[in-house]
Amino acid sequence: MTKQWFVAAILFVVAFAPMNARAQGSPTNIPDITGSWERARDASIPAQPQPPLKAQYLKDWQARQQAAREASAKGKPIAERVVMCLPDGMPGMMSGPFPMEVLQSKGQVTIIQEAYTQVRRILLDRPQKAVDDVEPGFYGHSVGHWDGGTLVVDTVGVREDVGYQNVPHSKEMHIKERISLGANGLLRDEITIEDPAVLEKPWTFTFGYRRMSDYQLLEYVCEDNREYADANGVQQIRIPPPAR
Amino acid sequence: MIFGKRLQFAWLSVFILTMAGTALAHHSFAVYDHTKSLTLKGTVTKWQWSNPHAYLDIDVRDANGAVQHYTLEGTSINMLQRMGWRSNMIKAGDQVTAIAAPLLTGQPGGLLLEITLANGEKKELPIPAAGSFKRPADKN
Repeated sequence: MTKQWFVAAILFVVAFAPMNARAQGSPTNIPDITGSWERARDASIPAQPQPPLKAQYLKDWQARQQAAREASAKGKPIAERVVMCLPDGMPGMMSGPFPMEVLQSKGQVTIIQEAYTQVRRILLDRPQKAVDDVEPGFYGHSVGHWDGGTLVVDTVGVREDVGYQNVPHSKEMHIKERISLGANGLLRDEITIEDPAVLEKPWTFTFGYRRMSDYQLLEYVCEDNREYADANGVQQIRIPPPAR
Repeated sequence: MIFGKRLQFAWLSVFILTMAGTALAHHSFAVYDHTKSLTLKGTVTKWQWSNPHAYLDIDVRDANGAVQHYTLEGTSINMLQRMGWRSNMIKAGDQVTAIAAPLLTGQPGGLLLEITLANGEKKELPIPAAGSFKRPADKN
C-alpha cells in the first residue's frame, strides 16, 4: 500500500512538474522588461482597427465621435473625464502618451503609467476571479503567466464607465494581453477586448514601446485643474474676474 | 547660432509630431483660437507648477495705465520637465513676454505657446500640434 502510494506520488510529480514549469515560464525565457518605456510606432505594429461593435452600439458610438468632432470644431469641446482629473483606467493607460514603468518582482508584474500615476498589478500564476467577485474599478483584476517569452494577461472587473476611446463595454468584458519583447528591442502589448454582449467579434490592437534607458518616472498629481465641465458638459476654463 | 536654433526647433517639431497623435487624446485645446495670437508683456502674478497643466497668471498694463489680468494655460509639468523646464524659471513679479492663442470666448485668457523670461531667454512649450496656432507676424 505504502509502495503504491509512493509510485503514484512519483508519477504525479513526473507528470505535472514539467507542465507547472511551462506554465510559470522557465526563468531563462522570461525577458527583462523592467524599466521605463514610451509609446513608439513601428512598421510592424498594425493600425488600430475600428471597434467591431454590434450595430446598435456602433451607431451610438459613431454619433458620439461625430458630435465630439463637431463640438471641437466649434471650439466647445465635450469635457472628457481627464478634465475632471480622472485617470484613463484599462486599457487606456497602456496607450500613453506619457512614459510608463514596468517592474518585475516575485509573483507580480507592476505597470505604472506616469500620467495620473496609474498603477496596475498583474498577479502571476494565479487563477482569475469570477467577474462578480471583483469590485468594479479603473484597472480591474489582472492575472498572468509567462508563455515562453510572452506575458499572457487576463483582466476583468473594469468599470463600465471607464471606456477606452469612449467605446462601450459590458461588465463581462475580458481584456486579454500578450506582452512580448521583440528582437529589435520594441516592447509590444497586443490587446484583445473580448465582450460578446457589445462586440461582434474580439477587438485586437497593439501598442509598441521603446525603452527609455535613463529615465525615472516623474510624479503626477492631478490638482487644481482650471479646466472644468460646465452644466452642458462643455469644457471651459476658469478665468478669475478682473482683480482691479 | 542660427543653425543651433534651427536644430533645436527641428528637434522640437519631431517631438511634437510624435506626441501629437496621442497627447491630443488627453486634453482638448479646442477652446483656443488657432487664427489669432496675443503678445502679452506684463508682470507675473502666479506661475502654477501643477498637473494636468501649468498656469501662468500675468497682469498687463495698457497705454492708459489700466491693468488687465490674463490666465494662460500651459502643458503638463511632466512634459515641461522632459524639455528642460524648471519650476523656478518663472516667479511672481517677473517681467515676461508671453505669446498665446486667445480663448475663443473672448475672456482674458489663452494657451501659452512661448515665453520670453525675465532673463531674456525664450522658451517654447511642447503644445501638441503647436504649428497649427498662429504666431505674431514678426516670427516664422
